[in-house]
Amino acid sequence: MAVIETKGLTYTYPSGKKRTLEDVSITIEKGEFVVLTGPSGCGKTTLCRCFNGLVPHFYGGKLEGDISVTGLRVSEHSIHELARHVGLVFQNPENQLFALFVEKDVAFGLENLGVPRDEIRKRVDWALQTTGIENLRERAPHELSGGQQQRVAIACVLAMQPDVMVLDEPTSFLDPSGAQKIFEVISELNKEMGITVVLVEHRLDLASRYSNHVLVMNEGRVVLDGEPREVFNSETARLIGVGVPKATRLSQVLEESGVDLGRVPVTSGEASHILKEVLRRD
Amino acid sequence: MSVFDGLRFRMVSSPIHRLDPRAKFFFVCVMFVIAVLFNQLLPLIVLFLIQMPLVFVAGVQREWIRSLRGALFLAVMIFVINFVFAYLSPGGIQGIEPPVDTLPEYLMLFENSFALTLRFVVLIESFSVFFLTTSPDHLGLALEQSHVPYEFCFAFTTAVRFVPVLAEEAQTIMDAQKARGLELERGNFIKRIRNYIPILIPLIVNAIRRSLELAETMESRAWGATEKRTNLYVLRLKKPDYVLVMMSILMLVLAVYVRLFLPVPPLVVILQI
Repeated sequence: MAVIETKGLTYTYPSGKKRTLEDVSITIEKGEFVVLTGPSGCGKTTLCRCFNGLVPHFYGGKLEGDISVTGLRVSEHSIHELARHVGLVFQNPENQLFALFVEKDVAFGLENLGVPRDEIRKRVDWALQTTGIENLRERAPHELSGGQQQRVAIACVLAMQPDVMVLDEPTSFLDPSGAQKIFEVISELNKEMGITVVLVEHRLDLASRYSNHVLVMNEGRVVLDGEPREVFNSETARLIGVGVPKATRLSQVLEESGVDLGRVPVTSGEASHILKEVLRRD
Repeated sequence: MSVFDGLRFRMVSSPIHRLDPRAKFFFVCVMFVIAVLFNQLLPLIVLFLIQMPLVFVAGVQREWIRSLRGALFLAVMIFVINFVFAYLSPGGIQGIEPPVDTLPEYLMLFENSFALTLRFVVLIESFSVFFLTTSPDHLGLALEQSHVPYEFCFAFTTAVRFVPVLAEEAQTIMDAQKARGLELERGNFIKRIRNYIPILIPLIVNAIRRSLELAETMESRAWGATEKRTNLYVLRLKKPDYVLVMMSILMLVLAVYVRLFLPVPPLVVILQI
């Protein structure tokens, strides 16, 4: 079943002359882990904003084509209706936390929805536990590291029990180990709870291991859409300037110099496995 | 980070901190009313002293003294102005037959001015006890439950939350501009103020950008989904709160009674100086 479906989606910001999204038609199935990538300014963030109605309800502008998320047509439903189904996590963790301590922030969405107090308590505890930040419950946001803040932001969204979680470059303010932690948390949500994940990411080396569907955008269009292996291995991806995983790039370089590995690796683990096989064969 | 240090609340746990902000606020209001009711020195000294235990139980002496020291300049001004004007037209002050020329009359004048200054100090004292022992989120919660529109409470707590963030940002911008050769501590008064413009502009622009991102996040978390939003936390008045409220009411009644039916003699008369 398609969780997110767009047909010929085209969008222009009220201040813009150029179309930010142009004829985007994609289908995201339930339970998928989608990595959305592409050069800066290609419209990734705008597409994410479409998923929960920030575009067009918050930003205005002209939206053409069709987009429905969990069966709801975005143009006909308000942001807060969509927020029950789609959780958005943004780039800068600092600007997503506005309460004076963690627990209150996690409860914020549920309070807005008018969920009864006992239920809020249960879900907040569950969300903190799932993201592994129970010990931060009473802390103020400015006392936390970027990685911890971003985990709080994920917990905030998780507490609302969305069907889809959209993360817009959640790791760009974090160090590699913090980023790794975030990916692990997201992948667990995807695997254990079947939450559909859309992750906007440049660090494909780390992210691609979890993904089973990759979208590459360029200048407002989706130019590549498919399995990680075939997308990363395509010539287009490299020419646009996508940070193709090093393992994949290695196999391409080897092939150019006449070594055929037989398969295309995506992660460094896979690469080492394949290389070992090849070395043994020779 | 030093710029906003004073605004940062220090979380301590004491019986006073645990009191309900509404009960404390009621107490502060009662103190305010009583202080305005009297202009004699004796009751104001009593008012000043009965708040001292609260300060010590809460363990905020140092901050409390700092806030009183902050009020020192104004207090001195109030004293001087009252003394001078009362000297020039002493009519209406108990025990003084104009013109002021005898020692008892001078003492009386002194006591009167001192009482009015102490009234100011008592007001500062009670408000600082309140703000030093009430955490901003408690205060926000109390506002919410006093039927203040949620938008205002939210604005208040969010503002408090972003104080350290903006302070850090101001520091970063200052460092960046200094690295480009901006000299903050040069020139006369006007020049020095103008030196801060290259710091204020990026700070404000960033704050606006930040507020947009905040708005986006709020929208994404169902801001305004229901008319009646729920709240994870509830403030409930407990026994100590009721005790404080009862004591405040008692004090108020007593003070009104004394004001109406008992003449309060000046300290000079009591001590027979």
